[in-house]
Amino acid sequence: MGGEPILDIEHLCKAFGGLRATNDVSYSMQPGEFSAIIGPNGAGKSTLFNLLTGYHRADSGAVRYKGTLITNWPPHRICRLGIARAFQVSNIYPGLTTYENVRQSILAQKGDFLRLFTPATGLAREETLELLETTGLSEHADQEAGKLSQGDKKRLELALALGSRPDLLFLDEPTAGMSGEETQATMNLVSRLNREMGLTILFTEHDMSVVFGYARRLTVLHQGTVIAEGSPEEVRTNETAQKIYLGEEV
Amino acid sequence: MEESYGRWRVARWIAPLLAGALLLPFLVGEFWVHVAVEILILGLFAVSFNMIFGYMGQLSFGHAAYFGVGAYATGLLMVKASLPLPLCLIASMAVAGLWAVVLGYFCVRLTGIYFAILTLAFGQLTYYIIFQWYSFTGGDDGLQGIIPPGFLMGATAYYYFTLMVVALAMAVMWLITRSPFGYTMRAVRENPERTKFIGIHVQRAMLANFVIAAMFAGLAGGLWGPFNRSIAPDLCNWHQSGTPVFMSVIGGPGNFFGPLLGSVIYTFLMAFVTGFTEYWPLLIGTIIIIVVLFMPGGVLGLAMARLRSSRSRLGTREAGGP
Repeated sequence: MGGEPILDIEHLCKAFGGLRATNDVSYSMQPGEFSAIIGPNGAGKSTLFNLLTGYHRADSGAVRYKGTLITNWPPHRICRLGIARAFQVSNIYPGLTTYENVRQSILAQKGDFLRLFTPATGLAREETLELLETTGLSEHADQEAGKLSQGDKKRLELALALGSRPDLLFLDEPTAGMSGEETQATMNLVSRLNREMGLTILFTEHDMSVVFGYARRLTVLHQGTVIAEGSPEEVRTNETAQKIYLGEEV
Repeated sequence: MEESYGRWRVARWIAPLLAGALLLPFLVGEFWVHVAVEILILGLFAVSFNMIFGYMGQLSFGHAAYFGVGAYATGLLMVKASLPLPLCLIASMAVAGLWAVVLGYFCVRLTGIYFAILTLAFGQLTYYIIFQWYSFTGGDDGLQGIIPPGFLMGATAYYYFTLMVVALAMAVMWLITRSPFGYTMRAVRENPERTKFIGIHVQRAMLANFVIAAMFAGLAGGLWGPFNRSIAPDLCNWHQSGTPVFMSVIGGPGNFFGPLLGSVIYTFLMAFVTGFTEYWPLLIGTIIIIVVLFMPGGVLGLAMARLRSSRSRLGTREAGGP
């Protein structure tokens, strides 16, 4: 029997013009969950993440994080509560070095980002190096982030999200564009953080081997509506879900 | 690490430049000492502008508003209240900073071209306020009789005073650019959206930088009054706002000292060229076109790139590479 959910979404709705991107979505997560949201392109997965992290304003509905109502809060306030997000398309600082990228996220989390007269060089050095090590970016620390490979940019994207020391982490297609090796490394890292630190994780993916290999709970979204939910096995054998994915690999 | 090497590289240039600056009055005539004071004051103005432009990535076309407000704060306090110059300069910074809080609150809600236009509009607003408030500021009569204290009356004395104030101000701004605040500015420039999502209130951070930049522009304005002995509302208008933009672009906005180098080039050329021709605007316009088309990083940007490539070539040779 779970306690208070870490995330509680009630009847969330968002329409763009006539298009219902999020259609009365209700969803709840317990702390420590490792769950995924899947659905064909245009199902509304990214829109949902956008609504949860303050990127879009919801038309109606409520989002609660650890009991606090956070619907339509600005992104920086949501982040400071303990929710972080890794974007689908790497959203990094191209002109800064990898080290400076990660440090920026850590300094932001520590509240040190407006300090005026201390040289930034010495600050948060250990934490930054540790996070670079964890995400496999140590050897690229002094590299201009814009010049990183696509896979490394994705890793940096994850590092930026982890720098915020979140309790709840949203990953939008974390392994897109990665090789098999990189995919495994990334998902193993995320899995380890979930097991050892109790980090609650919600991710979206198109790679079904990743979804079925790591997620303990699946939710299927189609045209903004939740059409199936349950363990990977339950969803795999669900008829409606199968129909949606007809022609796609499961 | 990269940072400490960068610091050493800068120190190597600063020492001889500072030495040269200290020796200048012994090497050139009084006219050029006057020009040097102008270079320093406008250089401070331009470096403060670059905190918004180069570091934060927004083009303010109304930065002269704070230069002018600072000039009038010092001018009025000296003429009407006979306050000593150092106190006046502090007041200039405070008044410019306060004005920037009021105007900046609106400006930071916009970005890009809209930010530029709003700052331009506010610059003109400031100009008109000073222009219209005849009873207080003297309107377009300007304010005359801003005389520096006795020991600073000579060109050389005022030059050393300005050098000291500007060097101190630049050192403070340099520290700020190396601080977490400075890096937050770079983050806002590089990716304001991501910055929100790592928990930073971007508008608040932008306003803080806007105010700091305005304070140093106010300081530059405060130094201008006693140098010129008089000031006018023109110090606030868009033409004056364009000066730090050109200086930063010519010198290189990607480098802390770029705008100062831009001031050296711009002010020196203007003093030199206007001595024998009226076609100064043609010359500076041509220079800006050339810089924008062929040297987008400005003179300093080009110099640094050349230095880096020659150093890497040297490295390969030393390592016995191909």
